[in-house]
Amino acid sequence: MPIDQLASANPPHANRAIVEPAIDLSRVGRLLFTVAVAALYVFLLAPLLIVIYASFSPDQANTYDISRASLRWYRAFLDSDSFVSAFKFSVMLALIASVLATVIGFVTAYGIVRFLGKKREIGRSLAMLPMMVPHILISLSLLLLLTQLPIPEMAALVIGHVLICLPFTIAGITASLEGVDADVEAAAYTLGASRWVVLREVTLPLVAPGVLSALIFAFIISFGDVYIALFLSGPGMTTLPIEIFSYIQWESSPVIAAITTVQIVMIVLFGLLIERLVGLRTAMRL
Amino acid sequence: MTQEKGHRSAPFAAALLAPVSILYLVFLIVPIGYFLAVSFLKYSPERLYLPELTTDNYRRLLSDGYYRQIIYDTFRISAIVTLFSLIFGYTLAYFLSRMKSAWRGILMFLIIAPLMTGVIVRTYGWIVLLGSDGLVNRLLIGLGLVSSPIGLLNTEPTVIVALVHIMLPYMVFPIFSSLVSQDPHLVPAASTLGARPLRTFFEVTLPLSRSGIVMGSALVFTLTAGSIVTPELLGGRNVTMLGQTIYQLILSTFNWPLGAAVAAILVVCQFSVISLYFRKMRRAY
Repeated sequence: MPIDQLASANPPHANRAIVEPAIDLSRVGRLLFTVAVAALYVFLLAPLLIVIYASFSPDQANTYDISRASLRWYRAFLDSDSFVSAFKFSVMLALIASVLATVIGFVTAYGIVRFLGKKREIGRSLAMLPMMVPHILISLSLLLLLTQLPIPEMAALVIGHVLICLPFTIAGITASLEGVDADVEAAAYTLGASRWVVLREVTLPLVAPGVLSALIFAFIISFGDVYIALFLSGPGMTTLPIEIFSYIQWESSPVIAAITTVQIVMIVLFGLLIERLVGLRTAMRL
Repeated sequence: MTQEKGHRSAPFAAALLAPVSILYLVFLIVPIGYFLAVSFLKYSPERLYLPELTTDNYRRLLSDGYYRQIIYDTFRISAIVTLFSLIFGYTLAYFLSRMKSAWRGILMFLIIAPLMTGVIVRTYGWIVLLGSDGLVNRLLIGLGLVSSPIGLLNTEPTVIVALVHIMLPYMVFPIFSSLVSQDPHLVPAASTLGARPLRTFFEVTLPLSRSGIVMGSALVFTLTAGSIVTPELLGGRNVTMLGQTIYQLILSTFNWPLGAAVAAILVVCQFSVISLYFRKMRRAY
């Protein structure tokens, strides 16, 4: 990246320390604003917290009696073949899809950042294509393709998940690559290193946190997806969200709360890991 | 230096960009084109479609009152959800953009975390909250406001509340980005020139964040209009959106041509609403 472009990426006014509150409301106004923000946080988190709470329920009816908390629904989850196999299947699918999306994402991001020059913005926008079409359209089209071509259903599911993960991995890794000082690579070239050696010894170690967080992010997206799997799941290939969806269409049981709690804990841990690696905001940058 | 080196190696660039191009072409662009083309073919009970061109599918959708109602409802619900997400999302984004403490990272994480759990988890959360033995009904009974549980599920307001909850994070981040990239000297400058805080907000801060507003709204509108799972689980028989109609037509009645036509209408309406919105926003300032 040329030096002048680097400079414009960080304009001098990006220093946020001097931001003044734009609405310098009276004390009452400020209080109201704080209350509104607090209420919004309650709104955002209540449905998740209630699920965690309900998962320790002692009986079927979600009695909110914490003194009789029990782990029976976690045992029920582990004893249920359909949920355990759906969980395993989702983990496997998410692993395959996220690794593929990260590898293709890295290759693409490297191509965009290092070789597209002025056409970089066009390349970046085109890479976002799967995000701009509704996901149901992607999965229905793949389902139609399945009926016409001899593609295994599993492959269609993997391709669908790779497609919805790619915009995120490409965006994340592009951001990481742009953060690599071009002069460091130039120095390595000057010292006689080949392109491959520079990539392996200089660039890759520098963007490793970004690549790893893209991988985790893709895993989360694949694991939580319902719209691709809704049309492409088949017998023996049901993802966890689809298994839960078909179950709660008919009945509600705290066993679902237990499974979702496991999922929430897993995702919060992954999220904290991304935060440690590159910061969630960078990983989310699109 | 690398930049110059790059320009000399077009074949290398092509090799790097080939996998993604092939993937998008073969598994995204061509299949979607094929799927949308099926909407102009005739329905057949035995096969996917009959290879005969027709506009019957569209004519049926646009003349049948049942389908027209669903199209109208889908876009009405999407507009309401977008509006509420915008108001709430702006509040949160404004709050986050103006705070300086170390808490900002944690508070941002609390907005992203629900997003990462996926649609099913969050929809299920609302079932637990609003079910007949859910927390809200227990509170209402405990406070003596009602004597027996009221039916909160299977209503349109519940679907809207849950969709706002699901879409809110998508609104917060684009607006947040547009707020933090504003020149922080503008607000003090406006107040030096005598503008009152509210006026500064409406004449400086708000207009300058319109790119975030447009991005967030477009994203929320598109995602809401295409939702299936949330209206299906929380709306029951009382709420039907286009996504559910496509799901039923293709997976239950195997009517691919009509399902494809519904999908095409969904996409065309989404894009026209969004482009209209973009144009309006550009003209407004």
